[in-house]
This record gives sequence, C-alpha cells and structure tokens, in this order.
Amino acid sequence: MEFIYSILILIGLYIIIAVSFDLILGHGGLISIAHPIFVALGAYTSGMLSMYFGVPILLSILLGAVFSTLASIALALSSLRVSGDYLLIASIGFQLGVLQIIKNLDFTGGHTGLINIPSLIEGPHRSLYYLLFVLAVAALVLIGVRKITYGDYGRAIRAMRDDEVALVALGRNIASIKLTLFAVGCGLAGLAGGLYAHYFLYLTPEQFEILESAAILTMVVVGGIASTWGPVVGALIITALPQTIQFLNLPPSINAPLQGLLYTTLVMVFLFTRPQGLLAAKEMGTQVNRKAPPTDSVEFNRGASV
Amino acid sequence: MTISFYVIYWGVNVLKLPAYAAFCLSLVITIVCGLGIEKLAFQTLRNRKALGFTFFIFTLIVSEFAAYLITLLFGTEPFTVFPYIFSPVTPYAGIIISQWDIQAIFMTAIVIAAVYGLLRWTKPGKFMTAVANNSRLAELYGISSANAYAMSICAVAILSTFGMYILGTKIAVTPHFSLGIIIFAVAATVMGGIGNVFGAAMAAIVLSLVQGFSVLVIPSQWQNLLLYIFFFIIIIFMPSGFGQFVRVLRGKSG
Repeated sequence: MEFIYSILILIGLYIIIAVSFDLILGHGGLISIAHPIFVALGAYTSGMLSMYFGVPILLSILLGAVFSTLASIALALSSLRVSGDYLLIASIGFQLGVLQIIKNLDFTGGHTGLINIPSLIEGPHRSLYYLLFVLAVAALVLIGVRKITYGDYGRAIRAMRDDEVALVALGRNIASIKLTLFAVGCGLAGLAGGLYAHYFLYLTPEQFEILESAAILTMVVVGGIASTWGPVVGALIITALPQTIQFLNLPPSINAPLQGLLYTTLVMVFLFTRPQGLLAAKEMGTQVNRKAPPTDSVEFNRGASV
Repeated sequence: MTISFYVIYWGVNVLKLPAYAAFCLSLVITIVCGLGIEKLAFQTLRNRKALGFTFFIFTLIVSEFAAYLITLLFGTEPFTVFPYIFSPVTPYAGIIISQWDIQAIFMTAIVIAAVYGLLRWTKPGKFMTAVANNSRLAELYGISSANAYAMSICAVAILSTFGMYILGTKIAVTPHFSLGIIIFAVAATVMGGIGNVFGAAMAAIVLSLVQGFSVLVIPSQWQNLLLYIFFFIIIIFMPSGFGQFVRVLRGKSG
C-alpha cells in the first residue's frame, strides 16, 4: 500500500509541476525547459533550511518556493531578450549550469545527494496524510492557475502568446506579463520541490537533469497544451503507466530500462497519434475549426503547431 | 551516437570482427536507423509544421529510447571499443603526444575536409544548404527537400560513427553518455553560428581549449560550469554566434 501511496503522491506533485509548466509554455508561449531546476532549487532550499537551520518544515517549503521565484526572475530578466528556440537553448544552459553548481558544493551533498531531510508528517499513516495534503495543494494550484488564465489577465497572456506586437500596440507591458508568468510558474515548481523533499527525504542532482525536462514537457504535450485538465491527465498517464511494470517483479537490471522503454514508447505513440494532446484546449479547438486548415494539430496564431 | 558506438563495440568484442569491418557495420546500421527516423518521424513532424520544441521532445525521447534499449542489451557498465585504451606516447618539445592523439587529429581533419568538400563542391551538398536556408524556395528550383534531408541524415550518421569510433577508443561509454555530448555539440553549434559548419568546428576547438586550460585557474570539477556559462552568455548576448561578435568588432574598426 505504501508503494501505491508513494506513486499517487508523485502523481500529485507532477500535477503541480505540469500545471505550472503549462502556465509558462502553453498559456504564455515561453519555450523554456529549465522547469526541473526550479523544482530542484525549491527542494534543496527547503531541505537545507530545515536540516541546517532548524526552520519549521512548512515555512522552509514556502521559503523554497520563494527562492525558486527569485531565481526564475533572475533567469527571466537576463534571458527574455531572446525568444523561441534561443530561449529554449538558453534555459538548457541555465539548468545545466545551476545543476553543476549543486553537484560541486559540499553542503548540497554534491553528486551523492542530500540525505536525512526531515519528514513533514510522521506516524503510521504518514503516506496517506501526505497524499491528501499533496492532492489538496495540487487542487489549489489548479484552481489558481485556471483563475489566472481565464480572467482578464488570462486574455492578455493569450494575446501576448499569439501576437506580442499587437499587445504592445495596445499599451500593455509584455515584459511584466512574461516576468509574472515565469515567477508564478517557477514558484509553484519550487513548492512541488519542497513537498517532494519532505516526503521522499532524499535528493540527488540526477533527478533534475535534462531528461526530467523532457518528462515534464511530455506530460503537458500528451495531456493537451494550454488546457486546464490536459497537464493533469498527462501527469497521471506518464507517471502511472510505466509503474505498472513494477508488478511483474522483474530484476532491477531489467525493470528500470523496461520502464524507460515503456515510457518512451508511450510518448512516441501519443506524439504521432494524438499530437494535439488527449484534451485539446477549447479555445484553440475553435480556432482550428474557424480557420479550418486540414491539419491534425493545434494551430497557434504565430503560424506553427504542436 | 549511442547506436554507432554500441554496434562498433558489439562488432569488435562479440562478433570478433576486425575494427574496419565493425566500423562499416556500424555505419550501415546508423544510416538505416537515421533514415528510418527521418522518414517515419521528422518528415511527419515537418508536414505538420510542428514547433521546434516538438522536434526537441521527439529527439530527446528517441535518444532515451535507444539508451534504454541498449541498457537492456548491454547493461549500464561503461565500455571502450578495445579492451586497452593505452597507446604509445612520444614527447614533442616537452608535450606528451600519444599515437591516439595523432590518429584522432588526422581522422578529424579528413572528416572536416570531406564535409567542406561535400557542401562546397558537390550538388547534393549545395542542395542541402539551399533546403536549410529556404526549403520552399529550393523546391521551386526543383530541389527535392526530402532527398536533401535524407542526405543530411546520412552525413550526420557518417560523422557520428567517425566521432564515436575515435571517442570510443579512448573513453569508456555508457548508454546515456551521448546525451551529455550533445549539449556540448549544441553549445558549439550556437557559438559557431547556426548553419556555419566550420564555425561550429572552430567553436568546439575553442570550447575544448578553454575547458582544458581552465584547470590551471579553477578546480577541474568546475570545468563544465565554465562551458555552461559560456553557452548561456553567447545565447543571450550573441544569438548569431561568434561571427556576430567579429562583425561588430570589424564594424567598429572600420
């Protein structure tokens, strides 16, 4: 049962991460893939604050999220002068650079990782209570992101994604919108990182490598980019399905690569059979119908599609 | 790259083929895999006008798929092409140079000259450049973009087989090794200026030298960080690569 709970907790955490990433990528159109590094910063900050300085765990999780927000502002201020594929490449450089720093510092545990992180909830029903807590946070994040993206501000965000020049002509400050999206999205990723650290109690830099970026990106694309429930479904499928192999009780040397093969095959199948994602965004769906191009993909106004 | 290396390793150590035969086998299998990916995946994505990051996800996922498949077949243990990686060394003016160094430099020079010749003096090379610059315009002039993309994939397969042969005779390779190298390759490509093959080669040399000599100034574990800092700064301030920097300098001096 513990195993099932830990998978469900992981799904809850990935829902927070995928929804926050979709806010930046899907709604904002900002192609940065450094999201796992903000999860890492939240996790490491929270873990170290509680371990070394005795900060209460809930407070350290919040401070971890704040630190991720500040780091994201630092990235955004320097890198939002470029966009598209260049922003994607710059974000890879940022992610790998920060990871390299984490790997080389003694107080972060270096390559071996940070161990003995205190648990947020103790007791015999630790996992069940943690699951309920994580799901409650995930639900709040989902509601919050939906509120941001469906209000007046949401329309401004979509307008920025679809036509930056037109929005500037209307007198809106797009730099502030981009900065806000980055800060909110990455802060939520940091929150998920803190929650991760105080349940799994162990962190290594390898958990936040470039392959993790691909996994989160995949959750958003498979679920349905810029839709409310898409990243939720994507997180559920991409996290849960490869775990089914665990029940075959295979030796670890076969189990791990087989899980990886299942995951990558799943992604490729979804990428080619349902490129718009399992739950395509409503507003985009109508846009596709209105323009009626004979394509099997979601079309953005900027002339390219997923 | 992963496929290239493991086929050479399999050929030499399991099938007991001579090195040149294992190399040729690897070349054939890498080209077939590359063309398969081009035909089944890249072409489909291009027809859909997929965004850059969809290509990015796909290439990462395919690389991961290959790495997991190879882990299943060969395990996670690092391998070199030959059981021994030591080669005779000779001191030149106080610098120790191994036979491997000379072979590697010689092979790299030949490969770069061949790429130069392909792009500069052959029709398929010129077609590849034309399609890379503007595929629609190239099609109007009767150039088949599908053939040009297939040619590019073949060239990439040949280059990566050469690269992994050279590397695999000196460094132990694991199934996920290539994913790390590709970051270096992307950094060199961007710094050299995307579309400029020789700029990328020069940038790779500069990056390697900076990384190598940085040991004199900073501890070796921070060498990679230097690469990423370079990478980040170039992308943000000189997205067109070093060429942009040189043009700015020339403009000022003029």
